[in-house]
Amino acid sequence: MNFISRALVLGSLSTVVGCASMKGGTKPPETTEQPPPAASLVDNCDDTQKGISKEADAMAAPYGIDQHIEKNFPDRKVSWLMTDSAYQKFVVQTGAKNFGRCNDVACYLFAAPSAAIHGAVEKAKTADGKHDPAVLGQALGLPAKNFEGPLRMMTLDLAAQKVCTRLPVEADPGVWKCTTPEDTDCFKFGGYTSGGAPEVMVINAPVTDTQVAEIP
Amino acid sequence: MSDEEVLLQSPLLYRVLRGKDGALSIEVVVGGIVQFEVRVRLNAEETESFQREGRAFSDRMAQAIMANPPFGGRSVKSSGP
Repeated sequence: MNFISRALVLGSLSTVVGCASMKGGTKPPETTEQPPPAASLVDNCDDTQKGISKEADAMAAPYGIDQHIEKNFPDRKVSWLMTDSAYQKFVVQTGAKNFGRCNDVACYLFAAPSAAIHGAVEKAKTADGKHDPAVLGQALGLPAKNFEGPLRMMTLDLAAQKVCTRLPVEADPGVWKCTTPEDTDCFKFGGYTSGGAPEVMVINAPVTDTQVAEIP
Repeated sequence: MSDEEVLLQSPLLYRVLRGKDGALSIEVVVGGIVQFEVRVRLNAEETESFQREGRAFSDRMAQAIMANPPFGGRSVKSSGP
C-alpha cells in the first residue's frame, strides 16, 4: 500500500470512530472519580507565609485553613469594610497598591466571607439610602459604633487573583487583643472573630483587583 | 482642607499629625473585618519620645493602640479628613 492509500484508509477509520462518538454510539466509561480538589490558597503564599500558615494549622488541628475555606468561603470571595474616611486617607491619598497593614514583609488584611458582609449590608439598608449601624453590627456580631458614618465595602475573589490566604495569628499586625470575656470585636485564634464571624488573613490583597462599593 | 500637618504617614495604617496649636496626635486604623480610625493626643512624654526616636516610637505606639483601641480611655473615634 502506497503512502496515499494508507492515509486514505486511516482518514476513513478516524471519521467512522468520530461519527460513532458524536452519535453516542460509544458511551464514555462510568467513573467514580471525584473532581480534583480546589487548589489550596496557601499555595499562593511565599515561604514565610507558608511557614506561618503551617504553624497556625498545627495549632488549630484537626482544623486548618483548607477546611475553613471549604466551610465558610466556598466561593473563595472575601469582603471587608472600612470607614470612607479611612479609605480616603490610607488607600486613595497614599496610592496604596495593597489593602491592609504593611510592614517590610507583607500587607496583612482581615477579611470575612463576601456573602456574609453583602448580606449584612443589604439587611442594614435604610429607606433614605443609608445604613443602620445597629443592624450591621448585630448581623456581624460586632459593636454598632464600629459601623457609624459612610463606609466602603471591598470584595476580592481570592481564587481568581491567586491571593495568599491563611488563618490569622496573634502576631499579625492589627490584632486587637481581648481584655474582657465580653469583648466581641477582639481577636480570637481559630478563624472566627470573638463575635463569631468567620475571618481569614489575606496577604497582599491587590487594590486594582478589588471591587469597592460605597455604603452611604 | 484640614488645618493639620501630616508629619508621618505609615503603611502600617497610621499617621502622626501636628495641629494648629502645635500638639501632636496619632491617628490609627483599628479593627479587623471592619476598619475605622481612632485618634490619641500625645502627652508630653510621648511627644518627646517621638521627637527623639521618630518612626520607631510611633510604630510602637500605633501597635499598642491597634492591640487595645480604647487605649485606657484616651482614644476618640476619628472620621474627619
